[in-house]
Amino acid sequence: MALFVFWIFLSASFEWTHLGLGLIFSFAVAWVNSGHSPFVPKFRLWLRILLYLPWLFYKIIQSSLNLSRLILHPALPITPQLISVESKLRHHAAVVLFGNSLTLTPGTITAEVDRNNLIVHSMDKNDDVAIKQIETKIAEIFKDEDPDL
Amino acid sequence: MDILFIIFIVAGLFFLIVAAIGVVRLPDVFSRSHAISLADSLGAFFLLVGIALHEGLGKNMLKILMVLALLYILNPVIAHATLRAALRSGLKPWQKETP
Repeated sequence: MALFVFWIFLSASFEWTHLGLGLIFSFAVAWVNSGHSPFVPKFRLWLRILLYLPWLFYKIIQSSLNLSRLILHPALPITPQLISVESKLRHHAAVVLFGNSLTLTPGTITAEVDRNNLIVHSMDKNDDVAIKQIETKIAEIFKDEDPDL
Repeated sequence: MDILFIIFIVAGLFFLIVAAIGVVRLPDVFSRSHAISLADSLGAFFLLVGIALHEGLGKNMLKILMVLALLYILNPVIAHATLRAALRSGLKPWQKETP
């Protein structure tokens, strides 16, 4: 159903052929994918993630300006290094969100994930403070969920 | 409205140029991919928001914002895959020579 609404938004034409094709395809895709992905809507969790996004965007702007300063600096004062982060997150989704946030933030990229050990490549030597901040923020989001890792 | 649109486009172009300079100046794959992620996260963000403001409210704006959301989901995946491949093939990150 949601896919059909999506199709209408995208095609934005209301002829019968378009609507019929959209109906067929959206139900076909939904039927093919209905086997796996037990999607249980958890509204509080999603609300918290939604509230987390503006903060993440603020961090992205901050570290982007920092990285731009490093790149444009004549002496190129970078200290690239591999940091091994042992996170205390106990959810698959939390670790995924953590790694994704780190990679989205310029200056740190997740290079390897193994359960809850992450290897992070960072550009600046005081990036680990930012990593800790993001981790505590995500631990706060997931504090009410049952651990599954 | 036009001023805002111009400001967004110029900011986006600034970050794209900085990212291009970074790709040339930085020493190895690992740090270069940082510069590319800068281009994707802020450069593309400002450019696309600027274009969305220019288009005004409507279905084109919706499409542009959808492109932006997809970009923000896919960009970390690509950066992570590249770096993991580099790390697994035995590439060592560049270090500053310490005397």
